[in-house]
Amino acid sequence: MSQPPPLPRSSEYIGRILAGIIVANLVGGIVCAFGYWIGRAANPGNEIIVPSLLLVPVAMGMVAAWIWKPLRLGMGAALLHSLFCTVFTIFVAALVFREGVICVIILSPLLYASIAAGALLGRIWFRTDRLNLLIAPALVFAVVGELSLRGSHHSVVVDEVRIAAPPSAVWPHVLAFDRIPAAPDYWLFHLGLPYPTSTTNAGNFAGAARACEFSGGAVFDETIVEFAPERKLTFDIIKMPPDPELMGHLDAHRGQFELRDNGDGTTTLVGRTWYSLHVRPAAYFDWWTHQIFRAVHLRVMNNVKRLAEAAP
Amino acid sequence: MIFAFVVRHLRWFAHIPLAPQVFDALLLTWTALFRRQTFAAIMEVEAFVRTLPGVSLCAHRFGGTGFACDGREFAHIHGNGLLDVRLFAEEARAAVASGRANVHHVLGASSWVSFWLRGANDIPAALELLKQGNCAARQPAQDSNATKSREFLR
Repeated sequence: MSQPPPLPRSSEYIGRILAGIIVANLVGGIVCAFGYWIGRAANPGNEIIVPSLLLVPVAMGMVAAWIWKPLRLGMGAALLHSLFCTVFTIFVAALVFREGVICVIILSPLLYASIAAGALLGRIWFRTDRLNLLIAPALVFAVVGELSLRGSHHSVVVDEVRIAAPPSAVWPHVLAFDRIPAAPDYWLFHLGLPYPTSTTNAGNFAGAARACEFSGGAVFDETIVEFAPERKLTFDIIKMPPDPELMGHLDAHRGQFELRDNGDGTTTLVGRTWYSLHVRPAAYFDWWTHQIFRAVHLRVMNNVKRLAEAAP
Repeated sequence: MIFAFVVRHLRWFAHIPLAPQVFDALLLTWTALFRRQTFAAIMEVEAFVRTLPGVSLCAHRFGGTGFACDGREFAHIHGNGLLDVRLFAEEARAAVASGRANVHHVLGASSWVSFWLRGANDIPAALELLKQGNCAARQPAQDSNATKSREFLR
């Protein structure tokens, strides 16, 4: 039986690990640029098209595994070097794409797990040379196919708060409110994610302008589209702040407050936000989006509750 | 616990391309960070299996590292240390009856058995099952007159 070739010296080992990380990132960048180009062609209306953030890192992990192949890495080493690769990718993304802390936090688990999955798969697949030639075009087809076939993803986040006051006492505080005094209580708010601070209202009629102000000076410009006193306020979000963490990733379209009279002197306040998600895998980013919108809803709705219940 | 929940309630998840592999990479990372003994045992078992003649690594379709003999998978190990081995039906029944293995965590009573690898003490028993699985995987090709009791179930 033939003996496997000897393992490289430590300097070669480190060189190959670094080469794997750098080439994987280069390939990831090229695939993203190619995906962006394909995506623009397939969806001309959208400004920024990001290829699947599952497929691209898996491909990166496989590229790294192919370069690391002579090192015959075990599971532990593959995981560790995948972590280094993830850190390098995040560093590049922060430098080149100016991704902020929040984006990095949201993306990191998926990025690491996908790169590690790619590296572990590559570690197995590339032991034999049979699959090597098939995997590269398959991955390119997968990225391009996903972009070309990608449909729009819309969803809505719904939250409820029960308020010990009738709808007539709740309604004025839904229309507009001054600065929310409560400190933010959601962990991402503490790390810099903008949180709602106040709302202004230019008039009590459909078509009136409205603005929701967030910390850090971010403002969402809105237009009231449905005005049913003490029952429903619906508004379209016509302009979002030009935040790089939002652009091309997420569009919030519409918001709504619905007041349900419980008939016992209390009101159920329902908050809804409709949005479109432009990043994939949708299930992963949907989870984060729901968490964040929920925190935004509850901050506003709990403030409305406080004001309504404090009213004489 | 999370693994059991996903297997039981989120089985559709396994049909999303690459999702099981990503999930298993996370499981393996968790094991490497917080269950070091299990992780060391997984690595030792993998290292042993790679020394068996004719055995190669393969990617298990539901996530994890598979072990194949002549291209046919006879065992796989998940990132949390759950080892599944395919034996002859009779051997699988005997292994479960003697307490050396459990019925398969998804298939139930079948040719597949499950074994929890939690630390160094579990390695000898795991290796025995793997040797048995490897023999079983080789046998049909070598012995075409295998009796019914030497067949695989499911």
